[in-house]
Amino acid sequence: MEDIAIEVKNLCIDYRPLKNLPSIKSLFKEKSEKVKIVHAVRDVSFNVKRGEILGVIGKNGSGKSTMLRAMAGIFQPDEGSIDLKGNTISLMSIGVGFNPDVSGLKNIILSGMLLGLSEQEMIEKTPEIIEFAEIGDFIDMPVRTYSSGMHSKLAFAITANLETDIMLVDEVLSVGDERFKKKSREKMKSLINDKSRTVIMVSHDMNTMMQLCDRILWLHDGEIKEIGDTEKTISDYKNFMNA
Amino acid sequence: MKTAKRLFEDVVNYRKYIVYGAKIGLQAEVTNAYLDWLWWILEPVCSMLVYYLIFGIVFKVSEPYFLVFIYSALTMWGFFNRTVNLSVKLIKSSKGIITKVYIPKPVLLISKMLIYAFKMLISSIIVVVLMIPYRVPVDWHLIQIIPVLLVFFIFCYGCACYLMHIGVFIEDMSYVVNIVLNVLFYFTGIFYSVSKRFPEPYGYFVEDINPLAFLIAQLRNALLNESIVYYKGLLIWFVLSIVIAISGTKLVYKNENSYVKVI
Repeated sequence: MEDIAIEVKNLCIDYRPLKNLPSIKSLFKEKSEKVKIVHAVRDVSFNVKRGEILGVIGKNGSGKSTMLRAMAGIFQPDEGSIDLKGNTISLMSIGVGFNPDVSGLKNIILSGMLLGLSEQEMIEKTPEIIEFAEIGDFIDMPVRTYSSGMHSKLAFAITANLETDIMLVDEVLSVGDERFKKKSREKMKSLINDKSRTVIMVSHDMNTMMQLCDRILWLHDGEIKEIGDTEKTISDYKNFMNA
Repeated sequence: MKTAKRLFEDVVNYRKYIVYGAKIGLQAEVTNAYLDWLWWILEPVCSMLVYYLIFGIVFKVSEPYFLVFIYSALTMWGFFNRTVNLSVKLIKSSKGIITKVYIPKPVLLISKMLIYAFKMLISSIIVVVLMIPYRVPVDWHLIQIIPVLLVFFIFCYGCACYLMHIGVFIEDMSYVVNIVLNVLFYFTGIFYSVSKRFPEPYGYFVEDINPLAFLIAQLRNALLNESIVYYKGLLIWFVLSIVIAISGTKLVYKNENSYVKVI
């Protein structure tokens, strides 16, 4: 029997623009606009095996990030279900919620707590995170003083070192300078090589996807266009995008 | 009941985050100010002096232990005022966190309220300091402030839940809140006694239907007048506050998934 880490069934996620609340402006408009429902993800079903690396590709606005967020539990699906089989999950995307007025160190601990770790566990992990983030003495400075590169390096370092069972990676491999990029790619590889870790990653960098992923899911306008073999799906996608 | 259970579980599960978040929130506030946490005392003390000057000296309002009378109400009002102003914008200002990780929204609110409660505690030191020169008699009646404050916190939390929810969807809410707070401030009797100043027979009526005025009056009863808190009224407001708090929490839980989609 296959060991499935995530089971997504008939997932639908809609965005409803705000109900048209009465406002002074709408008094003067003759017709009220119809409420348009945006179907960000439509009837998507797939399974991910334990230890598998699934790449998600698709043009901008095709529902990739929305799907990852739903998997991370940030919002519940409107229809369908996501079964994580009891695994811990973390969403890695550019910039965790930092409190800009407190130091990087305290933000590391706070981020860990948000993801369900204790203060003690986080204190143990911090040296590793600080070293990986390469921000030196800035770790004791308030986050608002960070450059954008430092900000995203720290964010990457935190999530990469949290080591949850399932990692959702949303376009973070292109963070920082050349050296850090290389390092983060190495880190990703070592995380990925851990056979018990399941990774779902979103990226527009086809070369990286080709290197890292076992399978590719191609989303198009919220629906699965293709899922399967990495090379074939990517080349189909490229042909489609260039057509 | 289900909502209360879920809220309880969330608070227990996230207790460390609540405390740590409040702790660094407090630190963040003072790290850049020269006078640090002294501001939490200086701010209410200065407004107390202003009210004392205007109402005590210019308008010749007189209440026993007038400075303590104003100050105790100001600390409570300060907490309510901050909580209300915060909750309207809470979801939008926490965008950075809530779009990245799931966190029960009431937990977010409670963590912030803890910051304000701590500030309130610090600024109440002055109440004690003021009570000494006035020789306010101290006896067992003081214990009564505990149930009064309990009802007060539950009430604030309940209001904040509703405002947090509405604030996500209605942009104008912060303007409305400002006006309402302004009106409420004057009707709450921070610098006068509502029950004594309103013409008969409306005094007690106006005091009892305004939970803030009611709670502040009861706090003063316990603190200054050595009298028994009006427990029947307190019980009614306790029940009402619980109802507001639970239904507000329920509303937030029901809609919290859509918050992320809107902001």
